[in-house]
Amino acid sequence: MLPLSDLLIWSLAGVLFGALISWIPGFHIFNIMALLVAVFGVGELMPVQAFPFFAIGAIVAYAYVSAISSVYFSVADESAVFLLFPTQRYLLLGRGHEAVLLYLIGAVAGTLFLVIGALFLFPRILPPIYQATSPYITYFLVAIVVFMFMSEWPKEGDRGRTPAERLWLAWRQIFGGILVFFLSGLLGFIVMNTNLLPTTSAYTRLTPMFIGFFGMSWVILNILSNPPMLEQVPDDRVESSLYNTLKATFGGALGGTIAAVYPIITGGMGALIAGHMTSQRGDDAFIISQGVNRVIYYVGAFTLLFLPQLRLTRGAAAWLVSSIYTPKSYAEYLAAIGAILLSAGISFLFTYYLSRFLAKSFNVVHIKKLSYVVAVTLVVISYLLTGPMGLAVLFVSTAIGLMAAAFNTRRSYCLGGLILPVLISMTGHTGYFMHLLGLG
Amino acid sequence: MRGFTHYISGLAAATFFAALVGDLRLGILIPVIAAASAYFPDFVDFKFGKFLARRDYEIDPAPWDEKKHYAPRLVKVSELSEENRYQFFAIEGTVEDILARGSGKVSYKVLREDGSEETVTEEYNSIVFTLNDGTGKITVEAFGDDYEFFEEEFGKIEEGKKLLVFGYVDVGEEGLKLVVSDAPHPQGIADTIARAIEEAYREGERIVKIHNIRLPGDVYRRFLVHLDPPRREVRVEMGPIVTPGGVAIGGEVPEYRKYGVAKVSVPFIKTYPKPTRIDSFSGPEIAFRRAQFRGKTVVKDRFLPWHHGFSHSLTMGMIIGLVVFAFFKLIGYEHATELALASMIGQWLHVFEDQLGFMGSNLLPPITKDVVPGFKLGESGSGLTNFSTAWLMIAFMIWNFNRFTDPRPIPMSDAKLLLLLAWPSIVGFAIAIVRSFRLRREISELMDYYTNLEAFEEMEEVGGI
Repeated sequence: MLPLSDLLIWSLAGVLFGALISWIPGFHIFNIMALLVAVFGVGELMPVQAFPFFAIGAIVAYAYVSAISSVYFSVADESAVFLLFPTQRYLLLGRGHEAVLLYLIGAVAGTLFLVIGALFLFPRILPPIYQATSPYITYFLVAIVVFMFMSEWPKEGDRGRTPAERLWLAWRQIFGGILVFFLSGLLGFIVMNTNLLPTTSAYTRLTPMFIGFFGMSWVILNILSNPPMLEQVPDDRVESSLYNTLKATFGGALGGTIAAVYPIITGGMGALIAGHMTSQRGDDAFIISQGVNRVIYYVGAFTLLFLPQLRLTRGAAAWLVSSIYTPKSYAEYLAAIGAILLSAGISFLFTYYLSRFLAKSFNVVHIKKLSYVVAVTLVVISYLLTGPMGLAVLFVSTAIGLMAAAFNTRRSYCLGGLILPVLISMTGHTGYFMHLLGLG
Repeated sequence: MRGFTHYISGLAAATFFAALVGDLRLGILIPVIAAASAYFPDFVDFKFGKFLARRDYEIDPAPWDEKKHYAPRLVKVSELSEENRYQFFAIEGTVEDILARGSGKVSYKVLREDGSEETVTEEYNSIVFTLNDGTGKITVEAFGDDYEFFEEEFGKIEEGKKLLVFGYVDVGEEGLKLVVSDAPHPQGIADTIARAIEEAYREGERIVKIHNIRLPGDVYRRFLVHLDPPRREVRVEMGPIVTPGGVAIGGEVPEYRKYGVAKVSVPFIKTYPKPTRIDSFSGPEIAFRRAQFRGKTVVKDRFLPWHHGFSHSLTMGMIIGLVVFAFFKLIGYEHATELALASMIGQWLHVFEDQLGFMGSNLLPPITKDVVPGFKLGESGSGLTNFSTAWLMIAFMIWNFNRFTDPRPIPMSDAKLLLLLAWPSIVGFAIAIVRSFRLRREISELMDYYTNLEAFEEMEEVGGI
């Protein structure tokens, strides 16, 4: 293990790196870390033992600072062709800074929950429970997918003139979701199981697909909707209650933990389960729980790499790091927890002041212009990581991401790109489907 | 209970069968059918029943714009008729004649929180003009707070000026008029519900669908429907604009168009002691049914009449079990019997969990004909009961996975492990039971009150009942 002072410096470097890029819409820390490793490598500029701590700083910063992009740079115009996220509604009401503050309340609560859990609970509780349940992960995964389909809430249909028309309007949206899931799954299956992308992109072959599903489609919607840049109130004021905060923290922590511990189950899916289990309602509670959920999902999942009795590799960053160096000692585990606390403190301040700054100067640069710059950058990242075929994947996945929005269905159906091929593989049907698609 | 609570109960039901757990360990995922069966009643009701159900009255206070899917709908004057009275629309046209500008005093009744009425008198400014949109003319009227807003928005109103006016349709002495406002008038809602109750008393049943009010920006105008049996009134209160998460973001309507009150000439009772709140997602359906209540004929309300019917019965559980058994036996699944039992138990758990709430279900049709009232342990959306139940199911799953694995991953006695896992649910249920006593008492008092209503007795004297 490196000296503590070195680990501290590398953690701080990670926070700085993460903070500088995480506020940009469409950027994901996992993609940028992969790009960093691909371009600069690890071991020359940075000692390999320091990489997990650099990553922790960057991931914590992402979990905090990405609130800026989801609040300020994911705006929709007031015609609201599609349903808005609560953060978008806050922005349209000039309360973007309040949304960031609510998120930060959740993020801090999530950090405290994670640190206390990591010190006193997780080492004792997680290993036996994981041991007992891990052989059934496929069961949970397929159960969540089935539930996603069965529980899709038809947003239209009420106003049809006849029962048949009402039924069609409702099911049009449900069919749209199923289509998005299977198209995403088909793309994911091809990307994972063929040599469409170069073998040199082994660690980043899913990157252009996810940039398309969630990043590029989001940026294109920003460009298409050409939203108004409304004046924002920079006051430090939030409307919520202690009850809502506690309830949201509990729900967020539950969803984040499920997503962090079990593979393939993402933060959004964890939030869906926990939201139903704790019956959450209210925009303030939703935003707070998002803060909790994302910190535990991203940071908690990565921390499992350090947990001595379990050492689970969860998330793209953990896979990337573990391919270079895996922490081994309990001392490194404790140092990681310290790094989380330190990084969280700095990220909190960075996010808070950046939000105040943006709230005061929100309409200086129009989001449409920023979105053009980001779109070009996302294309460049995809090309650098996966070459020209990566751009083809980016194009197709962006179209699928936009389909989800057009059908007014859950964006999380795009996770079919990951879930479906993994389910096919887990159940031993990869060969069958390759044959069915004429791919092998 | 919420959907996931039922669903996870089905997931847990499957884990009580060692053979199914063995299949899951081998990657055979068929037992997930038990979870789908547990969720099936809500799936059928909310994906089919809701849309196919009969509607005798459809109340749409603010019809949607066809393309944008929010209110107000931009209409032509020629499209409007008296049937649109109190509905919220937008009209674009040119000011033709200024008929009146003025000020004066207006008096209106305000309902206080305790149900008492108060008459308020205010000074107001107003303008009345005709608007021509090429298909016809309509009188537009703005007064009070709405006039102030109107003037702020459009400046001085002159003949020849083009305007996009929002407001509710009303019927005056000289025909239709548009009253400038930012919400429909609640009187239309109250009138229709009152009419449905009276018809139900004569004809047996009337089902009313109430649409919600969606506005630009994915926000909703909240309104409350309060059935007041003691006063024989239906009161509708127009509330603030809220987000889909239920957070009020302002936009309170002026007092003079906040309430709609309609008198009902027949006795009715409300079975749940809270007003019906309509805001985001979709509006409710309410069935008004003639029923006997402690020896008297009254009209009773039933929320979402298409919900908790045959799909939520133990009979349906048996049918699901038989269908699952037949299908999986036919395709040669080795553990079809266990799967059928797990599916039936999963569906029964759904019925039982819903029975803990208010609505209740028709448990054993065709033997039972009507809904058996729920145990009133908590509302369906209660976080406490949902979490307690879902957590108990998670505890069961971990417990079953452990006891059906050799060697056991968690080397502990079954009883001790279950207790360690399930204690949060035990605490949660205990709190819910204590809380439910208060609510039961409130409902009981309300029902006693209905029985002793003077209004009921008066009706008997004049032969109304």
